Amino acid sequence: MKIPVPVKVAALVVLTTLFYTYVGQLVPQKEVPAPEAIKIKQDATPAELAALGEEIVNGKGLCMTCHTGVRAPKLDGIAASAGNRVPGMSAFDYLVQSLYEPDAFIVGGFGDTQMPKLDEPPMNLTDDEIRALVAWLQAQGGTPTITMDTPIGAEAAGAPPAAAPGGTEG
Amino acid sequence: MSRRIVIAVVLGAVVALWAAFEISVWFDQRMAYESPLRGAEAEATPREQGILDERHDLEQRNEALPYEEAEYRAFPKVGSRVAVWVLAQLHLLFAAFVLAVPIFALIIEYIGYKTGDKRYDKLAYEFTKLLSTSFSFTASFGAFLLFMLIALYPKLMNYLGNVFTPTFLPYVALFFFEALFLYSYYYGWGKFSPRVHLFLGLMLNLVGTAIMFIANAWLTFMMSPAGISKTGALISTWEAVTNYTWMPINIHRIIANVAFGGSVAAAYAAFRYLQSEKAADRAHFDWMGYIGNFVAISAFLPLPFAGYWLASEIYAYNQTLGIQMMGGAFSWLFIIQAVLIGNLFLAANWYLWMGMGRIAGAERYQKFIKYLLVVITLCYIVWATPRSVLATVSEVRAMGGSTHPMLGYLGVMSAKNTAVNILILTTYVSFLLYRRSGKIATVPWARAGNLVQFLIFAGSAGIVIFYGVYGYFVPAEVRIGFSIPQVMSVLLAMVLVTILDVFLFRNAKKVGETNWGQMPALSQYLLIFIAISFTWLMGLMGYVRSGLRQHWHVYGVVQDTSPDAFTPTLGFATQVVSVTVLIFFAFIGIVFWLASLSGKQGWEPKGARRGAAPPEGAADLAPSRARVSSP
Repeated sequence: MKIPVPVKVAALVVLTTLFYTYVGQLVPQKEVPAPEAIKIKQDATPAELAALGEEIVNGKGLCMTCHTGVRAPKLDGIAASAGNRVPGMSAFDYLVQSLYEPDAFIVGGFGDTQMPKLDEPPMNLTDDEIRALVAWLQAQGGTPTITMDTPIGAEAAGAPPAAAPGGTEG
Repeated sequence: MSRRIVIAVVLGAVVALWAAFEISVWFDQRMAYESPLRGAEAEATPREQGILDERHDLEQRNEALPYEEAEYRAFPKVGSRVAVWVLAQLHLLFAAFVLAVPIFALIIEYIGYKTGDKRYDKLAYEFTKLLSTSFSFTASFGAFLLFMLIALYPKLMNYLGNVFTPTFLPYVALFFFEALFLYSYYYGWGKFSPRVHLFLGLMLNLVGTAIMFIANAWLTFMMSPAGISKTGALISTWEAVTNYTWMPINIHRIIANVAFGGSVAAAYAAFRYLQSEKAADRAHFDWMGYIGNFVAISAFLPLPFAGYWLASEIYAYNQTLGIQMMGGAFSWLFIIQAVLIGNLFLAANWYLWMGMGRIAGAERYQKFIKYLLVVITLCYIVWATPRSVLATVSEVRAMGGSTHPMLGYLGVMSAKNTAVNILILTTYVSFLLYRRSGKIATVPWARAGNLVQFLIFAGSAGIVIFYGVYGYFVPAEVRIGFSIPQVMSVLLAMVLVTILDVFLFRNAKKVGETNWGQMPALSQYLLIFIAISFTWLMGLMGYVRSGLRQHWHVYGVVQDTSPDAFTPTLGFATQVVSVTVLIFFAFIGIVFWLASLSGKQGWEPKGARRGAAPPEGAADLAPSRARVSSP
């Protein structure tokens, strides 16, 4: 039986489309949820904050997309090295500044990375979430000390300099 | 089927539908609850009264509520995002086709005008025949999309309306002009002087391009907003229009539209070729398919360069966006893209090599095909090799990470840029061999010319490979810059070799004719396969461009708070793309069918076929029919 041309063409369209759909199923399947503000209890301990910070680092913060040592420096041991980055600036202030004003200081060997300010769109992290990130950074080679009462960001502006929570040097 | 049977079937269907409706109404009434104590005087059952009371309560509650603007509305089953996604893609596919065909139809018509060769004029008209139905589909899908956006995303549309109101009126006005020029170009074929007709075609192209530029402003603003304050308040509509990614998308789309339009037009020619029984028709559609494919591949070759520019502008606008595209949630999408582009290159080259079989005297070049195939296959493999491989835990431990110790080197941009540039060069060589088939250069400097061409190719390939290898030994920010000399060397090589070839083969000796219409059926299915792959590629890249914003309607300004704010898996995205492609081909099938009607013999009444005279007045009512039935 001779198969009509339109039927053959239709079969080719369907089969080719099925093939590409199949290729699409072979790659890793990851669904990325829309980020939601993480509610942090007011009496969270620094260790609890650091655990939440890790969640943000690997999730909505997208930190590890760049901080692998290629585009941006690795974050291993940052708690120890943060105090030596900018003369006269404490490790805590440096960590807070690097999240609110990422371009204020660029680590040597890395170009203008255009890391977004984390409290502004598109990242839009809350001050509490940034506290959690600071706690996680303090935990990289040190002991987290920041609490929910530590003023940072807009809260700290105009206020007397935050008392160096200490402990970031390990 | 006789006319009486058709009428009987239609009438039967109408009666059956009416009967089904009546039965369902009767059944519904029979099934309604009736109180056993219901008296004859009762107006309603307790159930009916309850329903009326509920409705009354709801109305009263709603009257008490203040009016609120809806942020989103839901679309049943598939959800709002998929509904808008499919419609937007269908609109864009038809729009791309409608914008692309006039570009090359005009060029072909101009060639015909300058050379006096009527075949080109006929070919340009054949391409233009596809436009009128496609234009209607484009407008219909566009209106459908707009209604859906207004219905499903009212808040977003309100915001975009605030920013872009001054662009709406010019857009509508241009659309009227588009209709005017398109239909006068199509229906005015042969009715005006060639210059006037060419002018109509030129205006059609200019107006079409202007329409696309305006629409591009809306969508690029959503990706790289400009001209607004930090809170989203409008500062300058002009700045919103000329945002970061506007011009790169304009250029990218013009080139991609031509590639896509050429491939769909070639598919139409292939479809007609496969159905043609006369040798003259097969020769015509073979030639048309070749030209369509030539247009598609010629535009396809510089497309990656336009893609680089667009990607670099996305990086420049917002590095987070760029990194999400190439290193984040969408990075694996580019492996799917590699499979598509690899298939396109393979199919395009295969078609050209098959085409050499219809040219007498092409045998001397056929020995090179196997080497070209090896190079293309190797490049395809390199391009489709991912940086990280899917592996079990034990395999990852054995490799010391998710990157394969050897194949991982092929997964980085240095290798991929090298592969795609060599792929482009190789395809260009296939074109060049095809072009030379059946001809022998007669200029005295032919040998030297060939040598220079070879050296240009070798030099370009050498530059591409050098930077590809060197890229492994320099930091990332230096490596990114290497794509520019690689791209420039390939572009320069293609331009220089083409110029040389034109002079080299001027007044060349013909050793064989091209036997149009002598292509195997497989070659025509390859053309259709290329069109399907291009369409799918358009769908996939449309998804990444739009999906890149992730949970933002307007990046960093208007957040998506709907249930569809998550980014779906690539598997799901490819399913949506496939459904869109299938719907598109169902509609383009209608376009092909309608376009093919113009070449068919007119309908004849039964009596005329038996030799009877046409009915009285037939000549007045249907001149073409009368003409056909006349001796």
